[in-house]
Amino acid sequence: MELGALLGTWINSNPDTNSIAKLEATDENGKLELRVSAVGPDGFVDWGVAEAQVFAANTEANVGAGFTCCYDFGFAETRLQGMIMKGLLVLAQFHLFKDDSKRASYFLREYYASTHERFLQS
Amino acid sequence: MTEMLPFKQKSHLHPALTDPAATSHVSNLLGHWLNTNFETRGIAECVITQDEDGVLISLIGAETEWPDTRATVLANLEEEAGQRSVALMATFDLGFMTAETHIRVNKGVLVIVLYVTFGDDSYGSNYLNREFFYLAD
Repeated sequence: MELGALLGTWINSNPDTNSIAKLEATDENGKLELRVSAVGPDGFVDWGVAEAQVFAANTEANVGAGFTCCYDFGFAETRLQGMIMKGLLVLAQFHLFKDDSKRASYFLREYYASTHERFLQS
Repeated sequence: MTEMLPFKQKSHLHPALTDPAATSHVSNLLGHWLNTNFETRGIAECVITQDEDGVLISLIGAETEWPDTRATVLANLEEEAGQRSVALMATFDLGFMTAETHIRVNKGVLVIVLYVTFGDDSYGSNYLNREFFYLAD
C-alpha cells in the first residue's frame, strides 16, 4: 500500500484542544507508524509509537487513505480512526476508560493539517 | 516540553465526562435509517434499538448479510441540536471480513464510517468508507 498521503507531521487545527495535539506518521519498511503527542497538564504527553493499519479508498485502490490504531494505557485505551479528507486528516478518537473512576468513555473528532514550509519561502 | 506520562488526569478531562448522563442521550440515534444513496453496494438500511442489554445495531446490506452487533456507547463531545449526544462504536464480524465502525448523528443525518479488513487479499484492498442515512420513521 502506498503510504505517501498519510506521512508527515499533522497538527491539530484547534489550538485550544485538550486532546491530541500532533501526530507524526512515518513509513517504517512499508508499515505506517504513528507517534502521538497529546496535551497534558505540564506540556505535551508523548504517547509513544504505535503501528497503524492502513486502508485504501476502495477495494481496487492501492493508495492509503486512512488508518486505524490503538494505544493501551492499562487503565484506559484510545482507538484512533484517521481519514484524509480534502487534504486534512480527520481523526476520530475513542477514549475508553477501563478503571472504576466513573469517567464516561468518550468520542472526539478533530482535524489536522500537514505541516510544510512551502509558504515560508520568500 | 515533551515527557512520558501515561495519559491525562481526571481534572484535565471535559467536565461533562464525569456526568453519569453523558452516555444516556442515545435517543437521537435510535430508529430505522435508510441510505441516502439508493445505489449503494454497501449498507442499505440501519436499525438501531436499545434494550436492557444496551444498544443493538442491525445493518441490512445491499449485497451482504451483516450480523446484529452490540455497540459501545461513548459520550460525544460534539453537540447535536444543542444537546450533548453520543457516538456508537461497533465491530462487525462477517467471517470473510471485519468492519470497525463508528456511528453518530450530524445535523440530523446518521453517519456510518467503516474501516473494512478482509481475511485475505482475494477481495482486494482493505478499505474505508462513509455512508449517510436519513430517518425513515
